Amino acid sequence: MRSHRFAWAIIGILAVAGSACSSSSTSTTGSKSPVVVGISLSLTGDFSDSGKTEQQGYQLWQSVQNAKGGMLGRQIQLKIVDDASSPDTAVSNYQNLITRDKVDLVFGPFSTLLTAPSALVAARYGYAFPDPADGAPKTLNEHLQNFFLMQPAGPLDTGLTWTRYILSLPADQRPKSVAYISLDDPFLVPAVALDRTAFTAAGIKNVYDNIYPTENVQMTPLVAAIAAAQPDMVVAGTMEADSFDMVKAMVTEKFNPKYLFFMNGASDSANFPTNVGKQNIEGIFSALGWYPEEKTPGNAEFVAEYIKKYGGDASQISADTAEAYTIGQVITEVVEKVGAIDNAKIIQQLHSSYWPSIQGSLAWDADGKPVGTLLLVEWIGGKLEVVYPATDATHAPVVPKPNWP
Amino acid sequence: MSRATKAGAIRAILVFALLLALPFVFTDHWIVNIAFFGLMFAVLAVAWNLIGGYAGYIWLGSIAFFGLGAYALAITFQHVPLTSGYLPFFALIPIGIAIGIVSIPLALLLLRVRAATFAVVSLAVLFVAEIFAFNLDGLTGGPQGLGMALPPFVVTTFERPFYLAMLVLLAAVMFCSWYLAKSKFGLMLFAIKGDEDRARGLGVRTTTVKVIAFALCCGFTGMAGGLWAYYITWIYPQFAMDPNTMFAIILMTYLGGKGTLWGPVLGAFLLAPAKEYFAYTLGGSAFYLIAYAALFLLVMFFLPRGVVPTVADFLARHRRRAAVLASGPRPAGEQVA
Amino acid sequence: MHLLIYGCILGILLGGVYGLMASGLALVWGIMRVLNIAQAVCVILGSYLAFTAFTVLHVDPMLAVLPISVVMFVFGVGIYYAFLRPIRRDRESLSILVTYAIAIGIEGALGLIYTTSLQHTGTSYATQSFEVGGFQIPTVELYAFLISVAILGLLALMLQRTRLGRALRAATQNPTAARLLGVDIDRVSAVGFGIGISTAAAAGAVYGMIYSFNPNSHYDLIGILLAIVVLGGFGSMRGAIVAALILGVIASVVFIYWPLWANLSFFGVVVVVLLFRPQGLWGVPNWATQ
Repeated sequence: MRSHRFAWAIIGILAVAGSACSSSSTSTTGSKSPVVVGISLSLTGDFSDSGKTEQQGYQLWQSVQNAKGGMLGRQIQLKIVDDASSPDTAVSNYQNLITRDKVDLVFGPFSTLLTAPSALVAARYGYAFPDPADGAPKTLNEHLQNFFLMQPAGPLDTGLTWTRYILSLPADQRPKSVAYISLDDPFLVPAVALDRTAFTAAGIKNVYDNIYPTENVQMTPLVAAIAAAQPDMVVAGTMEADSFDMVKAMVTEKFNPKYLFFMNGASDSANFPTNVGKQNIEGIFSALGWYPEEKTPGNAEFVAEYIKKYGGDASQISADTAEAYTIGQVITEVVEKVGAIDNAKIIQQLHSSYWPSIQGSLAWDADGKPVGTLLLVEWIGGKLEVVYPATDATHAPVVPKPNWP
Repeated sequence: MSRATKAGAIRAILVFALLLALPFVFTDHWIVNIAFFGLMFAVLAVAWNLIGGYAGYIWLGSIAFFGLGAYALAITFQHVPLTSGYLPFFALIPIGIAIGIVSIPLALLLLRVRAATFAVVSLAVLFVAEIFAFNLDGLTGGPQGLGMALPPFVVTTFERPFYLAMLVLLAAVMFCSWYLAKSKFGLMLFAIKGDEDRARGLGVRTTTVKVIAFALCCGFTGMAGGLWAYYITWIYPQFAMDPNTMFAIILMTYLGGKGTLWGPVLGAFLLAPAKEYFAYTLGGSAFYLIAYAALFLLVMFFLPRGVVPTVADFLARHRRRAAVLASGPRPAGEQVA
Repeated sequence: MHLLIYGCILGILLGGVYGLMASGLALVWGIMRVLNIAQAVCVILGSYLAFTAFTVLHVDPMLAVLPISVVMFVFGVGIYYAFLRPIRRDRESLSILVTYAIAIGIEGALGLIYTTSLQHTGTSYATQSFEVGGFQIPTVELYAFLISVAILGLLALMLQRTRLGRALRAATQNPTAARLLGVDIDRVSAVGFGIGISTAAAAGAVYGMIYSFNPNSHYDLIGILLAIVVLGGFGSMRGAIVAALILGVIASVVFIYWPLWANLSFFGVVVVVLLFRPQGLWGVPNWATQ
């Protein structure tokens, strides 16, 4: 019986601690009623990793914009709720935000997998649905009027950024053979397929082509199989942890392709070097929509405010944070132009022209797919440099990739 | 009709009348939405209770059939034009029957093992099903997911048809659960739970009984899955077959009272809205997980039999004491049930 | 052919680490009929402890294994007295649900302390390798294998040679008889659970050098561990180790040729084995069906 009471005490403490620490932290000042923005993020569960970096972006926008007087002279209040990485909860959250709390605006969740059901709920009530990071081509095929992917380029452009560069090289300097490897993911598989089509047409020999699952990936044997095919170039449709483990496996295998491109993960300047080791990043390519030194409207302010609020340095800012901040920035401009919180007019305005943002000018097609392109980046001298297109480049590309240390 | 069944019938009619009135009284979208998920989990918990509660098998694969139903409906309406928004509701009936039949060979295979082995093997079934949902992308869309045809209901009462359809499903599964429990069949299931070998020794056809309970569980779970897919409009393998949903269903069944008629329903109505509420209000901290874990442990330790049996016992004791006080000392030899 | 042999080598190295994780699971099951769903989250907890020891105290994870095992042993004993000992009725089934709740509780706590960002214990030799007969052997995976084997060896020695070990084995084979012979089943169970958890954490310390991890990583891991224990025949530690090596090799080889189906090979093998031998490879015949 004694141990029973012990369990009871532990549970009681946990429960009290839970309720005490969870009180919501948004507070605002100002005489007029605040503009309430509802956001459901994956703060716990499988997708929580990126949910938190986006939360930072939204909160940073809130404090920066409120210091400037808010939106239409009203303070901005965020109502951020957790979807626990579940679509049932995401759908319920947007229902609650829109029909119970009657928020003025809603912003999107992080995960691709939660976007489609959530965007449909918002569409039903006529709310604009700016989304920071959805990638699935199929979501765009739903032809939702209210959906806007707040990135410079559509999800499949990740791979095309690389083909544009490789095919810009004179034919005799191009890699002769290529290995394709991709995570089984809604937008990585089609993105790699676009690369395959382009490179096959250009006569680059396909020596390895495979897809790996999202769970329990054993990178060492996988990379061994790629290495055995001896490709000049590896196009890797990676997400995050898988890119880290793949680099580590390549180093241990002493497999050093001349051209090495990762769609995601390698562009995460905060986590990539710490996870694979700073000595192992040199010469690796990736794609980005935003980088800290970019000379875009409001970017310097964003970076400075980020460091002021969260510490660290510019290289630790995640692109997810910038994407979330972009939403706030663009919607503020649109609302100021419309002169009222009117979702129908906001949707119309977003469709009608280019909008400046820290990620450059953004515009969308009818399905909410952005019409711009991404930047090709490479780790050079321990730093992420933009190398293509030449007009934006901060450094010339370094090829072939230097050998592992 | 005995007095007990009459009281039970009145109770059932009352509960279902209230549930039927709910979307017409509270027309707010968010209320009907939460109530829909409450009903869905009630169906899932009652269905799980058939095999998990009555027969005592910890069946961790039932959510695979939820996913199967979801994919079956979504794939059907990739090929069949959605002439009416109500068509998918009727399509659920053949889908549910088909899933029940499909599950029979699996049941014959799985029910050879018991207890923890059964639990682990049934979890393996869930993982295998999920891998197939991921990898058969010609059929399921794989990781890209599968879109359902959009329901053409008017916005003002958009959730209502789904809610009512789920209510009908709950009534059906409750009827099965009630009928099984009161019939000879239910006695056999309880015998299996008590001591399966002895039951078999006494001539109970244990395999037949278990397989029927299993098939009913899978069929109803699949129908709920199809309805869920239609409501949520877009399905992915990791959500259609989510182990965490599986454990949530079991927690609901235990909370309300496993092996009872109303326990799983009560558990679902308590927990499903609580889950959404905590995610909504505790959002932004990992405390959500800790609070959920604490609740889970509280139920396991302090209400291991569940709310319904505990309260029923308490009431029975109370009534008996009142009766004893009224009639003086009890005659010797009377058994306390 | 070269690739195939290489896959087998890698599979054996990884299988050793899985074997260490799963042997604790098998031990706990054998002694007290508790299926510990929290075993995988304890592996991740071990990875975080080693990560902290490495980044804050600059202690090599290989050296941190010992103190981590001790700390986690105490933690395991605490969990036993708090949450498992009170389960009197229907322990076999209820323990699955209780340990699941413990698992998500620990996951939540890890998320609070470490956030959910991916971490990696990046020792200087984390990406080194050396060549043997044309095969690149990853240093860290070899170390992880050797340390797992060493711990398993110590464990086996303890079970064979010490009084405690004899009590543990007696409790596994016949609890009632053991009790009659004066074995304090309660204390033996507590110690057994502590050992089970500490093997998980010890394996986790080296696991964190091979893979990037975050608090959610245990969901992927527990499926593998359960598959290993089923294949090995539940309560059998020897079976778990052999099963871990078999499944490690199969998964590695399948990953070379058909990566998408590697996880199916885990569960597929389990289903096939159970069709023909429901008690697993080393299990006591008939108990699974009785």
